[in-house]
This record gives sequence, structure tokens and C-alpha cells, in this order.
Amino acid sequence: MSTQTPQNDLLVLEEIHTFIGQFHILEGVSLRVPKDSITVMLGRNGAGKTTTLKSILGLTPPQQGRVIFDGMEIQGKHAYNIANLGIGYVPEHRAIFRALSVMENLKLAERKKGDFDKHEEFIFNLFPDLKRLYKLPGNHLSGGQQQMLAVARALVPDNKLLLIDEPSEGLAPILIQQMMEAIRILSTTTTILLVEQNFIMASQLAQRFTIIDDGKSPHSGLMSDLVNDTELVHHYLGASIKTRKEMELSHEAEN
Amino acid sequence: MKPKTKKIITLSIVVLVVLVITLLLYKVAGKEPFIRTALSGLTLGSLFFLVAAGLTLIFGLMDVLNFAHGSMFMLGAYMGWQLYTNPTFIFALLPHLLAFATGVMLLPLIKPTLVRMKLPEKWVNAIPKITLVLALLLAVFSFIGFDILAYAKTAMVAASIATAGNPFAEITPQEPFATYWIRPVLIFLSGLLVAIASAKPGNKQEFAVRERLSKTLPVPVIFFSLTILALVVRESAPKAVLLMDGNLRFAIAVLVSIIFGFVFGQVVEITLIRPLYVRPTFIIIMTLGLSYVIRELVQLLWDPLAYQMVRPPFAAQPGKAANLLEWFQKGSSTLNIFGVTFPTYRLFVIALGIVMFIFITILMTRSRLGMIIRAGVQDPQMVEALGINVKSIFTLVFALGVAMAALGGIGAGPFLPIQPLMGDQYQTQGLITVVIGGMGSYVGAFVGAMILGMARAFGDYFALKYSLSTAIAEASTVIIMIIVLLARPQGLFGKKE
Amino acid sequence: MLDKYLTKPGFGAAVKRERGFLIFILLMFILPFGIRALTGSGLNEGVTKFWQGQLITFFIMAVFAMSYDLLIGYGGILSFGHAASFGGGAYTFALLTKWWAPRFLESYRVMLGSVNISEGIVLLLILLAVLAVSIIIGLIFAATSIRLKGTYFAMLTLAISSAFYILIKATDFHQWTGADEGLHGIPLPVWLNPTQNRFTIYVVSLLFLMICYLVMRRMVNSPTGRVIVANRENEDRMRMIGYNPVTYRAIAFVTASIFAGFSGALYSIWNMSASPTMMSAVTTVNALIMTIMGGMGTLIGPVFGAAISQVIQQFFYTWFGARWPLVFGILFMLIVMFLPYGVVGTWRLQGWKVKQGWQRFLDLFKAKKAAG
Repeated sequence: MSTQTPQNDLLVLEEIHTFIGQFHILEGVSLRVPKDSITVMLGRNGAGKTTTLKSILGLTPPQQGRVIFDGMEIQGKHAYNIANLGIGYVPEHRAIFRALSVMENLKLAERKKGDFDKHEEFIFNLFPDLKRLYKLPGNHLSGGQQQMLAVARALVPDNKLLLIDEPSEGLAPILIQQMMEAIRILSTTTTILLVEQNFIMASQLAQRFTIIDDGKSPHSGLMSDLVNDTELVHHYLGASIKTRKEMELSHEAEN
Repeated sequence: MKPKTKKIITLSIVVLVVLVITLLLYKVAGKEPFIRTALSGLTLGSLFFLVAAGLTLIFGLMDVLNFAHGSMFMLGAYMGWQLYTNPTFIFALLPHLLAFATGVMLLPLIKPTLVRMKLPEKWVNAIPKITLVLALLLAVFSFIGFDILAYAKTAMVAASIATAGNPFAEITPQEPFATYWIRPVLIFLSGLLVAIASAKPGNKQEFAVRERLSKTLPVPVIFFSLTILALVVRESAPKAVLLMDGNLRFAIAVLVSIIFGFVFGQVVEITLIRPLYVRPTFIIIMTLGLSYVIRELVQLLWDPLAYQMVRPPFAAQPGKAANLLEWFQKGSSTLNIFGVTFPTYRLFVIALGIVMFIFITILMTRSRLGMIIRAGVQDPQMVEALGINVKSIFTLVFALGVAMAALGGIGAGPFLPIQPLMGDQYQTQGLITVVIGGMGSYVGAFVGAMILGMARAFGDYFALKYSLSTAIAEASTVIIMIIVLLARPQGLFGKKE
Repeated sequence: MLDKYLTKPGFGAAVKRERGFLIFILLMFILPFGIRALTGSGLNEGVTKFWQGQLITFFIMAVFAMSYDLLIGYGGILSFGHAASFGGGAYTFALLTKWWAPRFLESYRVMLGSVNISEGIVLLLILLAVLAVSIIIGLIFAATSIRLKGTYFAMLTLAISSAFYILIKATDFHQWTGADEGLHGIPLPVWLNPTQNRFTIYVVSLLFLMICYLVMRRMVNSPTGRVIVANRENEDRMRMIGYNPVTYRAIAFVTASIFAGFSGALYSIWNMSASPTMMSAVTTVNALIMTIMGGMGTLIGPVFGAAISQVIQQFFYTWFGARWPLVFGILFMLIVMFLPYGVVGTWRLQGWKVKQGWQRFLDLFKAKKAAG
């Protein structure tokens, strides 16, 4: 599978179990996120991908197993302590603060005074739209703009790791392209753990993958291996997703 | 453009309705009664706002309905009044409180070491419990034989003597230092044990960065020196305070109320409410129990009597001022407003309410804390994920709310009888205000408070004029609330879920 | 374990299931005779009379607390207006008995054979009126719960009950309701008079407690009761299955209101008066305190809670003096913090644990035996 040594891993999950209420959501998820790469979590709806992200952050603390971030066990600690170690979180459904303006949303994400000024240029280069909407309240933004704000918010402080939950959800194709480009640029400076339903987007971005299914993580490895493994993709991600190989085949057939 | 036009239309309709009602009241009541009643309404509204603002902030952020808010209003009045007429009580307790705080403040200093201790699992669970019990015992020991009732009861004497000329004659002498010194030491140790318990020694899930001493040491050192200071001035400070200019003394009383409310709010949130966030209904029940206990405690200390607090000199000189400037110069007790004689102290209360509204508006829109609160109302989890300790924000907001209620209490002190039940009516009206204005909205609280204040004042006025039942005035607020709720279940300024 | 929750049909099974409670009722019935035997004072005088008085209050408050538990414990509805039903029942009874009954008795006389039953008929009619008023009050609260939820609803119940409170305290109706002082000196027939015939009232309220307990027990175990409990857990899901939560909330409100109304009526018989306090939030909070102390979500819990609070009121004064409520308040806060299931709930949980441990021990023993 991977050739990288564990020392290179920024984040390691070892067999974590998470309960929400009385429901056993994660039943032993393990994954590794090597430094300076994009790792993607794939899986059906309700498989436990979002819960995995929340378990890393301590929002739904795991009852069992270990979460090792940057060589330090962080499971069970308070979410704000974990976040302050340098983990940025982009939640699903564009959970920006709608009562706050764009500027306030960004300012709120500061961990130290001046974080925002430091990264202002970088953020507005990445999402030029936001500069224009600076003073607008969050609930006046369009879906795509909200998503950009949600990503931008995670860029304000210095983060070692970004957890991004479904950045392409509900976006128009052109915006998906823009978002992909942004994530690619980000990955040059930070490590990213991505949850993505859009297999094409995921396969183009990520170097590594982990499949989450029924609260477990049955497979992980290099993305380049997965795109050619038709059977695995069909089994876990549904028949509607076409791997690159299949697409090439159908393309040839059409021609 | 559409939502904007809708907004404009609603706004103009509201302005129109308000104007029509005002004109109607003006016509029916006549000029002088109208002005007088409207000013009384503003006074009431201002007090309602001080209570409702805290309630609405607390509810908006953490879904906690604080049924002890009225008791906290009452406690604020008692504390301020104590400083104003019987500082002995507060200065007798001060060394205790500060010594305890010094102990607790050592937490950031000892936490990194304690958390890193390697202890067997059994001890990790047991130590906090054992230390807390020990702390409680030490605290109880430190109070044994301490005649707090005597210090409290001086109040009644002081109240009657202060006007008669010799305020010192009846001051209860403080306990001699030779026997007293052990009390602060014991309660300091108790505070230290509480700090140890909350540091959770050996708990792997806790997290504490080792900070430089220059960062962690100053706070306990400041508290320690304050404790020493409080010990030294125990005897002399009450006299000094009583000899002070009345206005300055009142200002200090207000400050004491606010600080007391702030600290008390923090303690209540951390000890009583935080453990119950998982069972929301129980928080309401807990605050009900708390209000009961506070009321009984106050009755124990000061007996179930009603006291009258002397008005501060700036609104107590005989004579009627012709305008605001004259009031400021002479400190007259009444003022001529458009031909109506109105007590100046009530104007001060109105000003207090408006100043607090402006303060909250600035706090909520301009400060980082306000930003966090507004964000937390929507999604506390995400705020936490940004690296912000939401729990400590909860504590802060609760404390702010209680401080505001305490400020309302001391503000109302000089014109309401000070008695254990004085907060109840304001709590009920405050709750109704919050419901009318929309839970979580401070603008709503302000508007709601003014509506209710006016309704009460005009209700009373018309009931008197047409010899109707006062029940109508009393019920008016309830009726307004029912109408608003049926028309707009989320309140006037509330957001739909 | 499950069969514990399944109700077996038949009278014999019911008696067996409720044997603990029935034994309690029987003991309570014998108690006055026991005290009489010990002290030698008659049933309607002296110590016996005093203790009966204590127990009568306890019986009535127990039913009131149970009816509140139907709302908060079973229905998950936090209402601050339950005193409206209690006071409503009390005032309906008191007003009709004082102003309507004498006039009726003057002009009509109902005979059954040679027995004059007009007093009985009047009592029956008045109780029917209490029933009607309770149902109406219950429906008012149910109606408000259609649009409002959670805290807003709790606030509105508080507002509605304070509206009733203001109404009953209003000086405008002083000549009928007595305003602040309340309605005193309700004319009761001699056989129902609590000062002259205390034992009758004692038996009546004991029977009242028994019947109410059994009826409520039957109700919470019925399919309707189950739906009400399920509504507490997840309203949306129930709606999806096809139960209208509003209907079932209304049923919960009306039933609770009826029991509260009757307990209020009985309370006004027992005190021969009705006072505005019965309508005030204090009364609701009392029921809340009893329910919490005893244990929410059980029927026997509020009974325990009522007993505890009665005992506390009796003894704390002698132990702690005039400021006994301070001790009581602290005790209450400790219970809220550390025994969220109340005395009964916690005891059941602990008892369950003990039973489990015992079972495990027995299993171990059996396994050893089998191995040996």
C-alpha cells in the first residue's frame, strides 16, 4: 500500500468507537493522514464520515481508540483545545454564522490577534468574491459564496490540518471547479483530510483514500490504485459512480 | 429589493400605530397626566429592561431560563444597600471571599503539574471528590463562630442612626485579629482544594499548557495582596465609607452590586448550571430551587422585613429644579418637565436603562465577545470548533446577565422597599418582556420592556381615573403577551427556527 | 423483564400487580384505629384527629402531584399553569356550594323513597361542574400548545395561570370570591364536615387517592398512555406513524386537569375554603417539587414526594426554626443535582443494579455447580 513511514503521518486514528446518544456510530475506524497530502474519506451517506471528522475534533468524542495528532494523543480533550492545536474545520451544509457579516465571520476565526491580517491577502486571492461581499451579513450570501466563506474561515489561523466536509455539496459545476482549484492551492501549504461524495472531484484531488462503510474503515490506500479498482468502487460507493477506466472505456465505445 | 420593501412597509405601519396610540393616549389623558404617566412607564420599562436583558442573553445563548433572576435582582439591591448604609457587613466578609478567590486563582499555576501527574485510575476519579468534600469542610470550619448575623443586623440600626447623626455608634466591632486570622487561612486552603479538584490531577483528557510564571502568577498575587489589604482595613474601612460623600458612596454601592452580581453569576453557572446542560428541564427546576434558597438566606440575614434605602444626595435635596442643569447643580429631588413635577431619581433610573441598552448594543455589535455570542446563538459547536472555549463564554454571559439584574436591583433600591420578594414582580415582567421581544434578542428586550412599562403605567392611570379594577392593569401585560404570542409565536424580534 | 411492562388482563392480575399499593391503602385505613387504640382518643378528636388531618393533606396533594407528573413525567410537558386546574376545581366547588347550593336546597327537595337525597344530588351536580371546568381549563392549555413549544409554551402557561390568579384576586368580584382573603366558611353538610366528622373526610380522601392512582395507572399503561409517552420521546416520529401529537397532548392535558380539579375540590372541602394561593404559581411549584423529589415518570414517585414534603413541613420547623425552608431548599437543590430520578427512580435504578448483581452471583454459583 503506502510507502510512507508512520513518522510522516500528521494524523492517525486507531480503531475509534463513537456513540451518539445510544447509537454506536463508529465501530472501529482507523485512518492515516500523511503530512502535506490530501486524503479523502469516501463512503455512502450515513456511513460515518462526518462523525469521524467530529470525533477527531472532539465534538463527538470517541469512547474508545486513539486519535494521534502531530505525535500527541488528543482523544477526549475539549474541542477548543484540539482546534487550538492547529486543526481547521469546514463543516458540511456551509455552516457559517448567518447573523455575522463576512468580515465578522473571518475575524471570529482568529486565534491570535492579527491572524486575519496576516492571511488576508492569501484568502482574498483565493476567493476574490469575498472581498466584494466583505460587509454583507452571512444570510445574504449565495450557497457558493457561503461555502467559500466556510473554507476561508478555516484559513484565517495557522492550521496544520484542515478537515473539509463535502465542499462540493450542492454547488454549480463551475463553482466546483473553483473550489477544487482552491483546495489544490491549499494543499501546498497544509495537510487536508477531505470528505467528498463527488468521486471525480475526490479522485482528481486526493493522493490517498479511506473508505468508510457502516462505521468501519474497510479499505484505504493510494488514490491511484482505487481509480482502477472498479469492483471496490462499485461495492462501496454504488454502481452509479464510474471509475476513470470505465469512463475511458465508454468514451472509446462511443467513438 | 423585495425583503427591503417589506421591511419598510412593516416599519412604517409600526411607526403609524405607535403614533396613533400615543396621540390617543395624549388626547384621553390630557397633557400633564400623559407626561407623568409616560415617564413612570419609562422608569418601569427601564427596570424591566435591566432584568430582561440578562434573561434574554442567557436564554438566547444557552437555552437557560433563569428563574432565579428576580432573586438576583433582589440580592443586588441588598448588597448595594448594605454598602450604602452598613458597610461593616461587606467588609467583614471581604477577607473570606478574597482569600477563597486567591486559592481558586492558583488553578492555572498548579494545573499543568497536576494534570501531568501519573496516578492510578482509581485515584484520578476519587481525588476531585475527596478534595471537594474537604474543601467544603474547611469552608464550614472557617465560618464556625463567625457571627455574620450580627454584622447583617447592624443594618437596621445603621439605617435609623445614619440620619440621626452618629453613624458609628452601632457598628458591630470586628472580631479581634488574634482569633480572626485562622478564618482566611482556612478558607484559602478550601479555595486551594477547589482548585486542585478542578485541575483534575492525573486526568489524561485534560489539557494544560505550561505557561510562563509572568503570565500565571500576577492574578493570584493581586488577589493575595487584596486579601491582606481587606484584612488590614477591616476595622477602618466601614467608617471611612460611611464618612464619604453620599454620591461617591452610592457610586461604590452600584459598583459593589455589579461586581457581586458578576462573581455570583459565575459561581452559580459553574457549580449549579454547568453540570445540568445535559438535562435542560432540570436547569429551570434548579434555578427555581436556587431562588427559594436565596430568598430564605436573605430572610435569615436581614429578617423578612422591608427596608427603605435613603436616596443618594444627587436626587435628594429639597426643592424643585426648573431644568436639567439646575438639577445637576443643586441635586434637587424633583424636576420640572414640561410643567410636570417628576422625581429626579426616577430620571436617573431611566438614564441607567438607556445607557445599559447602548452598552449592550455596542458590546453585541462591536466587540469580539458580542460576535462570539451572536455566533454561539446559532451554532455553539462550530464556535467551539474554531478554538473558542464556549463553556467559559456561557459562564461570562450568565455572569453579565446577573450583573445587569443586580444593577437593576440597586438602581431600584432607593425607590422600592427593599425586601426579599422585591424581585419577583420584576422577574415575571422580565420573562414576559423576553417572550414578547423574542428570546435572545436584546433589541426585543428593550422594545418589549418599554411596551410593558407603558402598559403598566397607563393601565394603572386609567384604572385610577375611571375607578376600574387594578386587575386590568395587572393583567394588561399578560394579555399583551398572549396576543403577541398568538400572532407571532417567536416574539416581535425573534427569529423563526 | 419485558412482561413486567405488559399488562395482564383480569381483576385478579390487577390486584396482584398493585398489591404493594393496596397494602399501603389498607394500612392507612387501619392507622386511625391504631392510633385510637394506642392513645385512647376518639376517631374525631385529639391526636387521632390531628394525624388524620396531616394525612388528608398528604392524600390530596399526592393526587395533585400525580396529575402533574402525568404532564411533566409522562408527557414531557413542562407546564407552569397546573395550579389553574387545582384552583379552578377548588373555586368552582366553593363558589357553587356557597352561593348556589343553599338556594337550590331551599326551593327543591329530592326524595328517594323516604330518604332525602337532595344534598347528594347537589353534591353530584357540583362535582359535574368541577369536571366541566377542569376539562375546559385543560383544553385551554392544550390549545396553546398547538402553536408554541418548549420554553415559549412554558411561559404562556405561566401567563395564563397568572391571568386566572389575577382574576380570582380581582377586587371587582370581592362579594363573591372574597378577593385576596379567599372564600371562607363553605357550608357543608354535617356528615362531610372536616371539623366534626374528620374520619369521613379521611376515608373519602383515602379512597380518592386509591381510585385516582388506579385510574391513572390504568391510563398510563393503556395504548393511549403509551402514545403520550412516545410523544415525549419523539414527536416527529409519532406524527410520521400517524398519531396526531396535538390530540394526545390534549388528552394528557385534560386528564391531568381533571385529576387536579378534583383534588382542588376535595382540598376546598377539607379546608372549607378556597384561597387565591391555590391558583398561584407557588402551588404549581409545590407539585413540581413533590414530583421531582419523588421521581418523575412514575406514579408512586409523586406520592412519595408528597409524603416527604408533608413530613418535612411537619418536622423541619421544630428542627430548624422559622428558617426551615432554607434547609428544605438546599435539600431540594441537592436532589435535583444528584438524584435526577428522584427518590423512587433512584431506588429503582439501584434496586435493579442490586438485583442484577444478585442474579450474576446466582448464575456464577450455578455455573460452578454445573462444572462440578
